Parts: sequence; structure tokens; C-alpha cells
Amino acid sequence: MLILRTLLFGPAHGHQIAKHIQRTTDDLLQIEHGSLYPALHRLERKGWIAAKWEAAGKDLKREFKYYRLTTAGKKQLLAEESKWKRLTRAVARIMWPAEEG
Amino acid sequence: MRWWRHREREQDLEREIRSDLELEAQEQEAKGLSPQEAHYAARRAFGNVTWVKEEVRVMWGWTLWEIIFRELRYAARTLRKSPGFAATAFLTLAMGIGASTAVFTVVDSVLLKPLAFHESGRLVACWESVRFLGDDATGPNPRHVEVWRQRATAFSGLTYLQNAAMGLTLGAEHPRLTSAVVTIPNLFEILQVHALQGRTFIPEDGVQGHDNVAVLTYPLWQDLFHGDPGAVGATIRLGDVSRQVVGVLPANFHFPSGSALRSFRRADQSVNVAPDPAIFIPAALDITKFPWNGNYGNWITLGRLNPGVTLAQASAQLNTIQAQILGDPSWPADRRAGALGAWVQPMQEAIVGGSRTALWLLMASVLSLMLIACLNLANAQLGRALTRSRESAVRAALGAAKWRLIWSVLAENLLLAALGGAAGILLAKTALDLFMRDTPVGLPRLSEIHLNLNVLLFSTLLTFGASLVSALLPALRLLATDPQASLQQSSSRSFGSRQGNRLRRWLIGMQVAGCTALLLVTGLFSKSLLHLLGEDKGFDTAEVAVAEVRLTPQSYGEDQSRVNFDDAVLANLRAIPGVEAAAMVSAMPLGGESWIEFVQRVDKPEQESPLINFRWVSPGYFETTRQRLVAGRFFEERDRNLSNVVLSEGEAKALWGNDDAINGQVKIEGRIFTVIGVVADSRNTSLKTPPARMAYVHYKDRPPFPTYFLARAPYASGLVSAMRQAIWKYDPEVTIARVKTLGAQLTDSLATERFETLVLLSFGAAALLLAMLGIYGVLSYSVVTRKQEIGVRMALGATRAKVYALTFAEAGVPVFAGVSVGLAGSVLAGRAVQTMLYGTRAVDPAVILMVTGLFLLSAVAAAFLPARRAASVEPMEALRSE
Repeated sequence: MLILRTLLFGPAHGHQIAKHIQRTTDDLLQIEHGSLYPALHRLERKGWIAAKWEAAGKDLKREFKYYRLTTAGKKQLLAEESKWKRLTRAVARIMWPAEEG
Repeated sequence: MRWWRHREREQDLEREIRSDLELEAQEQEAKGLSPQEAHYAARRAFGNVTWVKEEVRVMWGWTLWEIIFRELRYAARTLRKSPGFAATAFLTLAMGIGASTAVFTVVDSVLLKPLAFHESGRLVACWESVRFLGDDATGPNPRHVEVWRQRATAFSGLTYLQNAAMGLTLGAEHPRLTSAVVTIPNLFEILQVHALQGRTFIPEDGVQGHDNVAVLTYPLWQDLFHGDPGAVGATIRLGDVSRQVVGVLPANFHFPSGSALRSFRRADQSVNVAPDPAIFIPAALDITKFPWNGNYGNWITLGRLNPGVTLAQASAQLNTIQAQILGDPSWPADRRAGALGAWVQPMQEAIVGGSRTALWLLMASVLSLMLIACLNLANAQLGRALTRSRESAVRAALGAAKWRLIWSVLAENLLLAALGGAAGILLAKTALDLFMRDTPVGLPRLSEIHLNLNVLLFSTLLTFGASLVSALLPALRLLATDPQASLQQSSSRSFGSRQGNRLRRWLIGMQVAGCTALLLVTGLFSKSLLHLLGEDKGFDTAEVAVAEVRLTPQSYGEDQSRVNFDDAVLANLRAIPGVEAAAMVSAMPLGGESWIEFVQRVDKPEQESPLINFRWVSPGYFETTRQRLVAGRFFEERDRNLSNVVLSEGEAKALWGNDDAINGQVKIEGRIFTVIGVVADSRNTSLKTPPARMAYVHYKDRPPFPTYFLARAPYASGLVSAMRQAIWKYDPEVTIARVKTLGAQLTDSLATERFETLVLLSFGAAALLLAMLGIYGVLSYSVVTRKQEIGVRMALGATRAKVYALTFAEAGVPVFAGVSVGLAGSVLAGRAVQTMLYGTRAVDPAVILMVTGLFLLSAVAAAFLPARRAASVEPMEALRSE
């Protein structure tokens, strides 16, 4: 879900995604870059993201494999989001019942 | 993802990871680390590269195709490592699948496939049951059929037809014998067949004077006119009548021969196998010339039921009409109810009914052979699995999933079966082509036999079935393997698991049972054939040649002209150097029944008069065939103008009992004949039936149209062309149907039986070989694994004889159990094929004894080598090798 959310901002390659997640979560989620790739390939296989080699960098000399969200991926993200919200709300209700009332 | 994109995807991943590492290293370098340190930091941040790659690959997943491909490659490598096993397994499967496919092709084309006519399920054959003939399935009298055609509403059409063999001439060559169908013109309307060229019959073709037309089948068109469309309109001579070809039938038109179209109600009917018809001619009949109560069995009636009409309804309607015929004032005979009946059967049944049992028997035996082959393969695989149990244990211990191990066994068998199956189909194709090219077997619908989709489907199923059966047991064994236990056993000390051996012994038992049953049925057929061959025929076929001549009513309509022909040809034949005796007869020896008639004693007209076979013969007939004279004398020249008859011993006994029949008088068709001689009974209608009751009359009395000349000479086979010349010397225009030795005629008359027996024998031999291999395999494996045990036993004082006994005993239990199960099974099978056996009972002690003996002997032979190896174990060596 995090990867999908990251890609909502636009196409990115593996390294950027890893950095982005690391930065936005204030280094709380310290993931090894490597563990990202199996996940990326799984999402690609499911058709939620698409990949393409594109030139980038200072002088467009190097090519990176950019991942991009597909329509199916966007739908999946929405579904996941609402599921996650419900889960966190439920957890919150159990943990802090008073605040809810 | 396709497998060939595998490499591409791998490179892609490599590149992606490298770029990530480079980027990270750059960032770290920017933070001020040295390139080396930055590199390490990047690595640290990334994590375990190999692990990631592995994970990604798992994520890609193996597609089914990739798994199969990989396992098949692995299987191919394993099989290459053991070429002996691979070759044996491949050959076994190829033969098994080939034989099954070939037999199934025949079964499918003959029995299962519907006739190649539009809505062929509605096509029927009609038969009459006539009480005074004692025949409940005779070909109907056309006069009755005409009444049916007027009154029956169950049929959209009824036709009747007759098979004939006629000389066909195109141009100025000698006529060649052609199989023809004479039919009233509505046949093709009922079959719903349209002409490929020209037309089929129109009603006017059935009018006398307009009937000189003919419709050719596709093969005859190709043969005579090489496919020239100009054939329509051409003139041919058929049976000494000029006819105009009006049409050609399509290539997929197959019509059964006269010998194939029968009711099959009577098992003992023996008919000479005739080729499929090649030409159709219309019958222009004056139906009023047919008697009301007669002319049975000469015509075949076919019809097409109206939609929705059942066989029972049609039969009931015909019976109602039959009752009306009985009540008609013109009916001349027995008017009691049931004197005349009729019934309807599907046309397909009428065509293939006689071969059903034989074909299913062949199918059953080829499948049991296939099963034996698979069991053998399973056994061999099991043996391999046992020797490889350490390998699989290591793989299991290293974490290979059980299903992967099973997969690899399955893949190996699948590969073998696929290769074997492909080779088998090719083999079947070759075998069928050979079989079709020169087949003496009287199988209906032969021309329709070819490999088709059904058959390929069957073979594919069979192939997969075979691989499953042969992989199942080894796979189950694998499941039961405890890695720890098999790893603990050092290979040199393995005693072979008790359970594994028990399983293999079960397999042996099953194989033995199947093999015994197959051998027993084979034994029954062999005995039956030997019985037929060894039967006392009552005449001598050696050194005699026979020539069949078809005289036509057009050229030889006058009785005297036929007598002249016969006299001249006989004189010519006797003039051939080396010919000791020559004669003529009105029916082919061993060619089935022909002319049957009632015979009454003149002095006892009330006596039951059974139907007996008639032969018109020339003087010298009994001398040429060497039939034994019982009383009186044979025909001589002076009998030419006398009404004399020679009876067979059986007929003389039936009429006169133990009294002297000579000079007794009999009434035949209202005429009185004097008995001048009695000859020994002979089986000259068929070897498969008891000797027929016969009456022989001088040929001058009724010179036959189909005439059979016999000549006896020391080298009968050398007579063939001389006999043709002797006949054509008198008249080059006559049709000589065939010239062959009586020995060949004898062989041909048993063609079906010989073929069945030959096929069964080869199946039986193959099954025996496989069973022997199975026993040998199990025992030698067991001896290898028990080498030390045997060594210890011998060291402790076991004699070599004891070791022999030990090894034999191991095979003994499954063999004996299998034999008894097989015996029980064969009794059932024997019952099913009883009608196909002659002089042999379904449970035949002699056959059982011989087969059991043969089998046990083979089992002992198969067990001998392993046993000797066991007995020759050197105790010291066996123990030292520990």
C-alpha cells in the first residue's frame, strides 16, 4: 500500500521509492532497499503498477526502471486505504475507548 | 511470461538492482565517503542481493509450462543416464500403445462410428421369419416386400437388393469379376446419397427395357476411367449385357458386401467373404412372377424409418401386414398364425453384428496386454525408485517438497509415454496400412477403417493413463519414504524395505493374472483352430486346383449350351499334361451352403423331410476329391440322361436308417430320383459346421451358371494358368472369377479364425515375455539387496539348494496367486467367446493344463538366473564387503 501511495505522486524508480518511504516516515520504517524489489515485482505481476525503462538523471545518460500506477492499481489503493482506515479505527476504538465517545 | 523471456527478465532484474546500488553509492559519496566505503554502505542499505533476487524469482513464480519443461529436461537427463531402462520402457510403451491404437482404430471404425449415411440411425434391415423353413431371419420374399411398401406407414422407404458377382468388360479384354448390387431404383433415395458425377437411379431405370444402366462406385471409376468425368455416358459390358454408365458415387460412399449384410441371428451361418460392391445396377422385375411362398433368402431388404418410429413399432406393423398376407386368398400354404413373421433391426447391427464379439475380444486382450506392460513399467520404476531412494531422501532432507519429487517421477513417465505414444501411433498407422493392403479377413466396413480424431484422442488418453499407472506406485512409495531411515541405511547394507518388495510382488501377481487369462483365451483359440484344421474333411484338398467360372444367362441361357461348355472344358482340362482327374461341381468346396431343397422317400411321403444341400457334379467328381464310397457306385457317363442321385451317408441314414438305400427312390421338387450310391459324409460346405447332408445329381440335370472345375495333378499350384487357357480355349469371353488350389481355399475359409488366433498368439507371447521380465526384474533386485543376508545364511550352513528354494519361494506366492486369479478370469472370458470356438469348450482342461504348465515353466526360467546368482554368492565375499 505504501508503494502504491508513493507512486500516486508520479512515476518513480526503486531507489526513489525506498528513499521516499524512508523520508516521509521520518526514518521510522527502516526498510532495506532490497526488500522493496520482490514487492515491486509482485505488484507488477498483479497488474497494479507498470514498469518502463526511461532515461533520467543530469544528462539523461542513465536509464532507470520507472514504476507507474495503473488504473487497477489506483482502485486497489483506494480499496486498501479504506480497509486500512477501518482497521486503524477499530484498533483505536479498542485502545482508547474513552476518546471515541 | 514465456520461458524464452526468462533470460531477458533475469538481466532486467540485474540491471535494476545495479542502478539502485549505484545511486545509493553516489548519494553516500556525496556525503563524503570514499568510493569504496560508499559502495559498502550502499550494499548495507540494500540488504542481501542474492536473497532479493531469489525472492523476486519466487514472486515471478513458475508457470505450469516452466515447471513441466524443467522437469521434463531433468527427466530426459535422468533417462539418458540409464539408456537400457529407457529403451526397454520406450519399446514396451510404443508396442503397447501401437497395438492398442491399431485395434481401437478397427473397433472404432467398424463398431462405434455410425454408418456414413445421412441420419443413418433410421436405416434398418428387415427380415422374415418363416416357420416351414425353420428360419426366423431370412431375407424377405420381394413379393411380400412390395405389399409392405404399399401398406406400411412406418417407413419413408423400403428397398430390396441382391448381391451378384459379374464379369465386367471395358473394351476387348477378358472380363474381370466385379462385385455388383442389383437393386430396385429407390436404394439411393433411401440412403440419401447423391451422385458425384451424373445421376443415381430414377424410377424409369426399374422398367424392363430401360434398365441397361449402371452406377459406378468411386474406386471403380478411378480404376476403369482414372477419374475421367467422360465416364458418364460410356458403355460397359456387365454380365454380357451392354450398359450405360449414368453416374458415379461419391468417394465416401461405402456399401456393405452381401456377406456382411446378415441378421446374425444364427451363429453357424457360414458365408464366403465377398468384396464390397463396386457397381450398382437397377433391377427390372415383374413382381407377379415371384411366388407367394418362396424365394426367401435371396434378397436383402433395407428401409428408412420415418422420424420417431421405433424398431418395435415397425416390426409390429410388418407383422400385422404379414398376418394379412396369410389371410389373403392367394396365399398357398400354412395359414396358421405365426407361419410368417417379420422383424426389423438397425442396419449397422446387420452389418457389424458378426464381428462384434471378435473385435471386443481383441480390444480386451490388447488392453490387458497394455496393462501388463504398464505394470511392468511400474515395477521397473519401483525398482529404480528403490535404488534411488537415497537420492530422493537427500533431496527430501534438503527441503524438496514431496510433490516435487513425485513430479519428477511423473515427468519421467510422461516423457517416456509421450515418446512411446508418438511411436505407437506411427506403428499403428503402418500396421493398419499393411493390414488393409492385403486382408483376407471378413471384416465389414473395411474400407472405412482409418485413423481419426477419436483414435488420436484414445491414444492420447491411453498414453497419459499409461504414464499415470506406471508412475503411481513409485510415487506412492516416495510419499512413504522416511528420509531419515533411508539415509541411515548405508547403501552397501541396504536390505530393501519389506514393504517395497511386497508392493512389487503384488504387481507381479497382477501381471501373472492378466497374462494367464490372456494365454488361456489364446490357448482356446489355438485349440479351436487346430481342431478345425485337423478335422476329418471327408475329402482331400491336396493336389487339387479349382477354377470358378461365371456363365451368364445372356450367352449361356440354353441348358444345352452350358452342358456343351462343361463337356468341352472338362475335355480340355483332362488333356492338360499331368492332370490325373478333372471334374466339375456347382458350388465352391468350403464355400458355404448353396442350393437347399427338401427330399422325400417316395414310399414314405409322410416322413419328415429336412432341407439338404444339393450339388450338381460331373462323373469323376468323387474320384477327384477322393471322397469315400460307402455303397453303390459313383456317377458314370451313362448317368447323363438318367434321374439318378448320390446321397451322403448322413442323409441316407436319415431316410433309410440302417436299411439299404441303393435303388431306393426319392422325390425332389416333385420329380423322382433313384439312389445309385452313398458317399461318406464330408464337410464340403464349411469346416465350422458338422458335415452337411448332401445330395449329388448329374450336371446334365440342371447345368449350373456358376461352375467350378476341379483338376487333380501332382503340382496343383502350377495348374492355374493352364486351367485358364483350357477354359478360354473354348470361349475367351467367359468370366473366370478365380483359380486357386483347394489348399488355398481351405486356408481362406478359415482366414478369420487364423487371423484372430495369430493376433491373440502374438499378444499372448508378448504378455508372457513381459511377465517373465517382471519376475526376473523383481527377483534379481531382491537378490542384489539381500546379498549379505544370503551370505550370512550360507555362512550359517544354508545349502545352495536352500538358497534356490528361498529365491523361488519369493516368486512362488505371487505367481501361484496370479495364475489362479487368471484362471478364474479366463473362465468368464471363455464363456463370452464360446460362440467363436469350434470343438473347444470354454473350460478346457487340456488348454488349462498346457497354459499353466507353460506359464510355470516360464516363471521358473525367469526365476532361474536370479536364483543361480543368489546361490553363487560367496559367503566370505558377501560378508567382507560390509
